[in-house]
This record gives sequence, structure tokens and C-alpha cells, in this order.
Amino acid sequence: MGDPPTLRERSAPSGPGSPGPVGGPLPGTDDPHDADDPALQDEVLSVAFWFDAVGDHLRRGLSAVTGTDARPADGAAGDVPPDLTPEAVDRLLTVLANYAVGELTALDGASGLVRQAGDRRVKTFLATQTLDEARHLEVFVRRIRSLGVADPDAEIERRAHPALLTFRERLLSLVDEGDWASALFAQNVILESMERTVFDAHRRNADLRTRVVLDGVIADERRHLGFGENDLGRRLRDDDTGRLARRLAEIRSQLDPLVAESFDGVASRIGLAPAEAERLSDDYESAVRRLGLV
Amino acid sequence: MNDRETGVGVRGEAGNPAATDGEDPGGDTLREPVDDAPRRYYELDETGFDEVPARWRRFYRHWRGPGDELAPNEVLCPVCKVVIRSRRELRPGDRVYCMPCMSRLVVVRAPDGSLEAEVVY
Repeated sequence: MGDPPTLRERSAPSGPGSPGPVGGPLPGTDDPHDADDPALQDEVLSVAFWFDAVGDHLRRGLSAVTGTDARPADGAAGDVPPDLTPEAVDRLLTVLANYAVGELTALDGASGLVRQAGDRRVKTFLATQTLDEARHLEVFVRRIRSLGVADPDAEIERRAHPALLTFRERLLSLVDEGDWASALFAQNVILESMERTVFDAHRRNADLRTRVVLDGVIADERRHLGFGENDLGRRLRDDDTGRLARRLAEIRSQLDPLVAESFDGVASRIGLAPAEAERLSDDYESAVRRLGLV
Repeated sequence: MNDRETGVGVRGEAGNPAATDGEDPGGDTLREPVDDAPRRYYELDETGFDEVPARWRRFYRHWRGPGDELAPNEVLCPVCKVVIRSRRELRPGDRVYCMPCMSRLVVVRAPDGSLEAEVVY
């Protein structure tokens, strides 16, 4: 079901991972809504675009965990986290450890998908996503270390939620099987949706340093989410058999409970009220509805 | 955002010659369906959004949640929850591009009269 690419598809624009046409400006124009030109895809999926898009929040995120100029995107002042009680630190460590597991999973998943992508632009995009995930993992590990943990790797392993570890195994097995669509769905729709939503909820109650880190990660998740939904949306649109939709529904039924269980554990630790925690899945459910998978 | 409105029914970008938009006669209002009224045009200001390269940043802004009232030239991306901004007042059928998540969208009118964006895969 992974539609492993043939040799021909590897060099064809319509191969697995092909971005398809997009709306957008001609590279020489300055209005992104003006034109409908596939040439834009070369730009938005490129390393050059990525570098210009992430530069500012990358610097903020790294400085937030290296001790200088932790300043959130909205310009709020201050670079010293408020005092955290030992209990709050313990909760935060568990949350950060599970964020790190999620990022490690996405790092392994995105890098594994590079070789399967049939289009050089998609390979390039997934390479930038791989670097995003590596950076996210690094800032979470640095944040864990900054909270007084001498061995972050051991702490992550100790605090990782079993359901999230099972999700990781399942996702990486889809990647290893060459099941492009299922792996992309699991990673760039299911995992990224839930991460983005949880990070967005967490940032509202987070200490300043953690908030700056989360702001940068959320910005990257937008690209990852959009890439996954749009790639799968085009595949589902073009699949007259309904086979892909059935396969993704099957993946969803397997993975949704694992993600829900993982993030239930996080929600209570980041101070979300039960009603607010229930809303965490709204964005994901909306994406699934847009894709016609309900 | 408080972008400057540069004209009604004209392409009034600052520094550019204005030209009448002959397809849109009539008045305008924010809440009523006024899809035959003249378009309003806006000069977009920077919003602090920095998740795309600098030349595109003024076309997007961060969404401030459900209480964030959108201007007539704005619509929310349903995929990534960034506010997409246009130089012109948006109408149903307009196509916009969400560069932060690379989604192509078409503007539609919701049952409550507001404008929404739907993804075009």
C-alpha cells in the first residue's frame, strides 16, 4: 500500500511525494496570492526558502536554551524563567522528555522518507524537515539539561510514555515497509497535529524559556503539517478505488488511541483543564475530515 | 490588523496608478454578502510574522484565537491557523495561498456570513 516508486516514477513529477501544482506567485512577483504557477514549488520546498523562513525563530529558540536573550516572538521582555517548584520541574521534565521522544520519532521518520520520495523537491523538503526535527530534539534536550538533568538521554528514556514508544515503533515500521502514504499520514498528520496542538496549549502556561522554544517548534510544524495534508489530499483525490482511504482509516484506528493516551498524560502535566484537553484533538479531527477520512 | 485602506473599487496601491475595477459596482459592508460591491484595497503593513522569508511576511499574521476578528482582507488558514492577508477585500471564489503551510485555498462564505478558506488539494 506504500506505492513504492518505480524507476520511472523516481524521475517523474507525478511520482510518490510529488507536490503537484500549487497556487502562488511567480518568483519575480511580490503577491503570494496572484498567480498559479508550479514554479513556486521549487521555491517553497527549497533549502533557500527554508533557511530564510526559519532563521529568526531558530536563533531565538537556540538562544532561549543557551542562556542569552530569551525573548518571545511577540516581543515580551524578560529572559529569566520564573521560579519553578520541584513538583513543577518534575512535571515539566516528563513533558519535555515526551516531546523529545516525539521529535526523535519524527527525525527518524522524516530521514527515512527522504529516500522514498519520488521527486527531488520533496526529497529536499524532507531533508529540511529532518533538520527541523533534529533542531527540535536538540532544544528540548538542552531545556531538559538546563533544568538540572545531567543525563538527558537517560531521563528521556525513563520518562517516555509507553504508548508513545509503541507509536514510534509502528510509525518507523511503516517507513521501513516503504508505505509512503501511511507513514506520511502517521508522521505529518497524526503526530504533527497533536504535537502542534499540545505545544500551542502548553506555550500559554509555559515559563519564558520553554515558551520561546515552543514558539519556534510550532512555526516549523506548520510546514510539516501542510506538506503532509496536501500530499495526502492529492493522493486521495486521485484514488478512484478508495483503497488509500481505507488504508489510512486503518492506520488511524491503530494509531489514534496511542497518540490520545500519550497526550492525555501530557495534558494533565501542562495544566490543561479537562474541557480544554478535549479540544486538543479538534485540529487533528478537522484535518481528518478535510481529507475525507471520517 | 490596521492596514491602510487605499480605495474602494480601485486598485489603489500606494505609488501605483489607480484603475477602476469595473466588475464590481455597488456599495460594501463587512457582515452582509456584498459580493457585487466594489472591492476595497489595502496597503499591508508588517505584522511581526516571521515564519516565511521577509518579502512575504506582510501577507500573514499570527491568529490570536477565536476572539480574533478578521478584517475584510483576511481569512484563516484551516490547516495551520495562520491569518492570510490580501491586498484586496476577499470574496467567495478568491484563491489565496498559505505560504507557511504551503496550502492552496479558496475563499467561501460560511453559513454565518463570514468568510472561510477551504483547501484545494
